[in-house]
Amino acid sequence: MAKKRLVKRNVRVLDSLPMLIVCIAVVAALYVACLTGLASNNAMRYMIQIFLYMTMGEMWNLLSGFTGMTSLGQQLYVGLAGYSVAVATTKLQLSLGIGLALGVAVSVVIALLLSLVLFRMQGMYFSIATWVVAEAFEKLFLSWKYVEQGSGMTIRVVPYPKISEICAASLTLCVVAVAVVYLLLRTRVGLGLTAMRDDITAASAVGVNIFAGKLLVYVIAAAFIAVAAGIFFVNKGIVYPESGFGIGWTVSMIFIVTIGGSGTVSGPIVGAAIYVFLQEFLAHYPGWSNIILGAITILVIFFLPKGIMGTLQEKLGFEIFSAKRFSFARHR
Amino acid sequence: MSDALLSVEGVSVRYGDFSAAESVSFSIERGHIVSLIGLNGAGKTTIVNTVMGLHKPESGRIVFKGEDITSLSTEKIVSRGLSLVPQGGRCFNRMSVQDNLLMGSYPRTARKKAKQTLEHVYELFPVLEEMKKRPAGTLSGGQRQMVAIGRALMACPDCLIFDEISLGLSPAVIKDIYNRIIKINREEKTSILLIEQDTKRALGASDSFCVMLKGRVVLSGSSSEIDPETLKKAYFGI
Repeated sequence: MAKKRLVKRNVRVLDSLPMLIVCIAVVAALYVACLTGLASNNAMRYMIQIFLYMTMGEMWNLLSGFTGMTSLGQQLYVGLAGYSVAVATTKLQLSLGIGLALGVAVSVVIALLLSLVLFRMQGMYFSIATWVVAEAFEKLFLSWKYVEQGSGMTIRVVPYPKISEICAASLTLCVVAVAVVYLLLRTRVGLGLTAMRDDITAASAVGVNIFAGKLLVYVIAAAFIAVAAGIFFVNKGIVYPESGFGIGWTVSMIFIVTIGGSGTVSGPIVGAAIYVFLQEFLAHYPGWSNIILGAITILVIFFLPKGIMGTLQEKLGFEIFSAKRFSFARHR
Repeated sequence: MSDALLSVEGVSVRYGDFSAAESVSFSIERGHIVSLIGLNGAGKTTIVNTVMGLHKPESGRIVFKGEDITSLSTEKIVSRGLSLVPQGGRCFNRMSVQDNLLMGSYPRTARKKAKQTLEHVYELFPVLEEMKKRPAGTLSGGQRQMVAIGRALMACPDCLIFDEISLGLSPAVIKDIYNRIIKINREEKTSILLIEQDTKRALGASDSFCVMLKGRVVLSGSSSEIDPETLKKAYFGI
């Protein structure tokens, strides 16, 4: 009985008012660090990367970890957003805000159109199809004169935002992404999504609208990844087909989710931080970095199949940002 | 026929060139239990999945409470009052027992009564309340079947379909589950369609039966008046 109470209390503490206060305090401190110059430019560069990868990781986790849609083609929306920002700001002389909005709009429209074909497939067929579509778009952009073919496009934003502004925008996006995923999963629709992940036929048999559920998640993921990618390319200043539509983006998202913990809201937060620092560290070992990242992923799958947060939460009997109405307890 | 709650009328289903069901017809009256029995590959599950909207028939129609539901989506069919306990339970393994049960009240029509129905399910299966926080994937086969039945009941159905409920379970567990099925039928007046290979048990629990063989209904009638020899011939096609 005592054990039962302990587990229950832990879950409550981490998902209730004290947890909310801690989260608000951390986010407020990060805003202060960004906007008041407390954080150095170098620190902010890291923070931007972490926030953007967190957003992308959360979205890939929503797709695969919570809904069972293992997409290998999310780089499609990275590329579309990058080029939308470039076209809007450089070719059409529009503002950055309109560029980002255009990126989201294009991504959402393409996601809606692709859903008609992609959602007819399941499992690895869906995964491969998403990848093939992204590759096809890369080839299209490589040969499309309007977007400067393979040489890519520079992004000229006037006035160019300060790094502190980019950092604050990335943080805002990341916070909104985590909140959207958490709140969505706490709803009845969210319950239906996790049911789809566990058994799509049984979910359908209890009345879950599979197409609508998939569409909702796919479009949300496309929109958030588009905003994150738009900010990323503004910070970078150039976009070309390989940098936008490369499979590396999805590989990064998979790494972040696998390391952090698939099917946990907190997993991609931890995974993104680890990924960015590992990437920085491994930059000193060119040629070896991908091999080392791959080896780490395999080791994590072998020894921590639920990722760092998934394993920690299970072993210690707590959950941060629990998506479950009845969080797991330890049963012996 | 006129008092039928669910009518399957001349339904044929094909998977490519393979005919899985051919002109299948049967009906279930309100408050009755009907068993659909047959060997593996007879087309029983195909018919169930077609009734639930998981497959679309090539021809024929399915009428539930006077409405043609043949072309309706599964979620609409469930919200009309048809609920399926699929073969093998098919629980949502990573979700808790209680979340599994709550999934049963996913249709809008069942949501308002979810709390009340949940209490009723716990009364019917007290063991599920004790295990409500456990992931369903950690339960035994019998317990998973109970979760699947409870989940189907959460939809407040007028007609419950059990697809091979006894598959892989011990005789004691099967007996217990059958007793609960009969209790559900008697106390709640829920019509039940039992898909079974265990003819003796299915006929013992049902009011009427249909035997399927190679995608066709080859024999039907009242469960209490069946001649064992005729049943055997129809079941094995000899």
